[in-house]
Amino acid sequence: MKSYLAQLSQKLFADLKSGEDVSLELHSEESDFIRFNHSKVRQNTVIRQHELTIEFHFEQKIYKSTSSLTLQLADDLAVLTKKIQSIRQAVTAIDPNPQYFQMQNNGQSEVYKKSQRPSTIELISIIAAVFNDSDLAGLWCSGPIRRAAINSKGQFQYFENDSFFFDYSLYNGPRAAKGFYSDENWNEVEFKSRAQQTKNTLALLSRVPVKVNPAAYRAYLGPMAVAEIFDMVNVWQGFSRSAFEKGFAPLKKLHLKEKTLTKDLTIAENNLLGLAPHFNSLGEISPEILPVIERGELKNFLVSSATAKEYSLPSNQASPYESMRSYEVKPGNLEQSEILKTLDRGLYLSNLHYLNWSDVQTARITGMTRFACFWVENGEIVGPIQDLRFDDSLFSIFGDNFGSFTRHQEIFTTTATYQKRSTGGCKVPGAIFNSFNFTS
Amino acid sequence: MQLENASAESKKNIDFLKSEFKKYMLEADFVAFKSVREKSRDYTIRNGKPDDFFEFTDEGILIELMYDGHMGYGATCELSAEGIAHAFQKAKHMTEASQKHAMFRFTDAIRPPSKGRYETTRTRKLDSLSTAEIYDFLKKTSLALKTNDKIITAKSDVMLIECTQAYLSSAGAEFIQDFDLIVSSLSATATDGKETQTRTLNGGRGNSVQGGAEFFNLSKALEMCEQISKEAIELLTAPNCPTETCDLVLAPDQMLLQIHESIGHPLELDRILGDERNFAGWSFVQPEDFGQLQYGSPLMNIVFDPTVVNQFATYKFDETGNPAKKKYLIQNGVLKAGLGSLESQARSNISGVANARSSSWNRAPIDRMANINLEDGDLTLPQMLAGIERGVLMTSNKSWSIDDYRRKFQFTCEYGRLIENGKLSTVVKNPNYRGVTVPFWNSLAGVTNTSTVETYGTPFCGKGEPSQVIRVGHASPYAHFKNIEVFGGG
Repeated sequence: MKSYLAQLSQKLFADLKSGEDVSLELHSEESDFIRFNHSKVRQNTVIRQHELTIEFHFEQKIYKSTSSLTLQLADDLAVLTKKIQSIRQAVTAIDPNPQYFQMQNNGQSEVYKKSQRPSTIELISIIAAVFNDSDLAGLWCSGPIRRAAINSKGQFQYFENDSFFFDYSLYNGPRAAKGFYSDENWNEVEFKSRAQQTKNTLALLSRVPVKVNPAAYRAYLGPMAVAEIFDMVNVWQGFSRSAFEKGFAPLKKLHLKEKTLTKDLTIAENNLLGLAPHFNSLGEISPEILPVIERGELKNFLVSSATAKEYSLPSNQASPYESMRSYEVKPGNLEQSEILKTLDRGLYLSNLHYLNWSDVQTARITGMTRFACFWVENGEIVGPIQDLRFDDSLFSIFGDNFGSFTRHQEIFTTTATYQKRSTGGCKVPGAIFNSFNFTS
Repeated sequence: MQLENASAESKKNIDFLKSEFKKYMLEADFVAFKSVREKSRDYTIRNGKPDDFFEFTDEGILIELMYDGHMGYGATCELSAEGIAHAFQKAKHMTEASQKHAMFRFTDAIRPPSKGRYETTRTRKLDSLSTAEIYDFLKKTSLALKTNDKIITAKSDVMLIECTQAYLSSAGAEFIQDFDLIVSSLSATATDGKETQTRTLNGGRGNSVQGGAEFFNLSKALEMCEQISKEAIELLTAPNCPTETCDLVLAPDQMLLQIHESIGHPLELDRILGDERNFAGWSFVQPEDFGQLQYGSPLMNIVFDPTVVNQFATYKFDETGNPAKKKYLIQNGVLKAGLGSLESQARSNISGVANARSSSWNRAPIDRMANINLEDGDLTLPQMLAGIERGVLMTSNKSWSIDDYRRKFQFTCEYGRLIENGKLSTVVKNPNYRGVTVPFWNSLAGVTNTSTVETYGTPFCGKGEPSQVIRVGHASPYAHFKNIEVFGGG
């Protein structure tokens, strides 16, 4: 793919006119998706998908155009050349863009990663065998993802990662436990061990259910549940400078120092996790670690070069969307073995579901509990609960009502596959809260 | 195929699809090729200046193969003989291996031999709209939204989609569908330094229709800009929605979301059958509920109708060739049928509809909504309000959350008005409400008449593993619910 791109881009750049600049962003994937229900295959899909986005700069104007690639050089070249001609025509109709910035050569680099694993055909049989005593629903996803950011200034950044994940849940009637496995290389012993842990969790759910009335309780959120909260804030551009300037500002009070969060909370974009390309879609290399919230204070918004230009700010080479590509929430001191004892009485929540804002101005969020969630008394699990809705402010749960983070962190590679596979993920601990508000 | 009106490029693409299909049509128990070519233009103007100008031309083929009753899929954008050969062989090997662990054995009845052609009803095709024409519309509307210095973000956006799908199968299906789709949005964010509020045209991208360039009406859009901007400013000084249990009236642009989340998704048969359990979730609806469950009050009549001219999710066939027809899902409040394709109907023996759809060439079809509409009642809006002593009218969705069984929901709107002694009174900000699906719909106490029905949709209904977004339409009158928990922000 890299040499194909080199040939294609060279020919396209050769035809540019004076004052024109073009950057090319590649997304390419060869994916195996195996969808399971009742521990059997519901749908299998194999995909080859390649897209190239032209970002055309001319006279302070910007126009972006994405096309599918056939990987037939003459055909792709003809389509893209025609596309650039039509863009030249289109930009005559539009005004200069206040976010326009001069394209830069951000260097040349390449990163290749490949996980060792059995073939997908073999893995279908392995998964079916390991879970033949279970009711499983989930998705196997594997294959290479390629990203590149090339431009007419001489930049050529390339990333290729042949990875896998298995995202699943096990069921006993309506009771369910969540499982997830992804690693640098497939390890069948580890896979089976994790499968057994998920089966053990499901067994705990067969205890007599406990009815919990809506109220404020102490709560432990497992790492996946903590990730749900920060994923939501991140995806909705809660850390974005551009969104802040446009009026979407859940962290405004933190920025203005009218509110603070717990000193235990430090969150950073961490590009050393290796879960995403080391460059953004423009080929800019972001800092390896960019603190966003440090010891409870807002340290940095994410600022893209476009936002930097528009608001006369320094850029920190954030992605144009200004969400963290990979992030880490720093761990605390709470040992795994002490979680139930420290919680003492309250809710043990493995997962949350469908989070959204109930009031952006006050950073109030709502969502549901999901999968294995339990009532705990005297430091011991009593039984599973019915799903509960929570509604609370980030300034409350990560403010006065915060307890502690666990020492243990877990890494989750993203499972997002809308339209195409995403890259990125997070490394997060679990957390205990002294009070968490449940409403229904 | 009937291609009299097709462009030379479209004819060339169909000829290629046909010639490639012929090579493989006998290579499995069943083979189908679906091609998708979609051009979308998504342009945004903010505060009268360009914000984002983006277009996407997406093109590829989905190959369907059946071995021993198991359907597998291969997809590629490598539209050459070699690319298709590779995709077919890979799909063949994976499907042969997967069928040993097949969850269900289908018959070829799940892929009817439908033939025909569909085109969006329009007087002027979207491809005739130039960048200059669109830019002019967006710039004028964006500037019209900025009526006051307190408006810090005045945004006008349009997404224009031209999509052609063609389908050929070894069972004899041969059809082509050609869609023009428009999603337009207007948004004004106002601030006074302490408070910030956003008002939009029908909530985000709710203003979604299937139609041609004639749907662009600048004078009407400018009127809307004035109202949106005025309401954004009003919200800055409005009190929060009170916390109480009272009557709730939902405007059609919030009913869009209410219908979508608490009727559409729980009635999807693939959810009920458990396919979505790991991702989007399951459903509180059980197979035995069909024909029995009093889902809502007798005023509740919900139809699946992909035949409504110019509604967002209108088509002639679903993507497996099942002919589209109107069907009551809920009639007089009783659950009658599910949102299930021929595959889900075979698995569940529950009455379904033509709704096997996929987001593009790179995803397998699954059970989706199309147009899901609440039928009108007989009240005028003033008559409905006159019967309410204390309540809140909520307009335009802002935020949404619902559990994985589609029972407990909490939704936030942009703009609320108190209803006191039968009349609209104070404007309130951050109007929220929460409820549980079946009790909520059983509290439906009134529905306004046909003159009040408004038609909306969304281009971004998410579901599936791997995940897909799809376009759905929802039309509704105003609806009155009794004894609902409402609250504000803060």
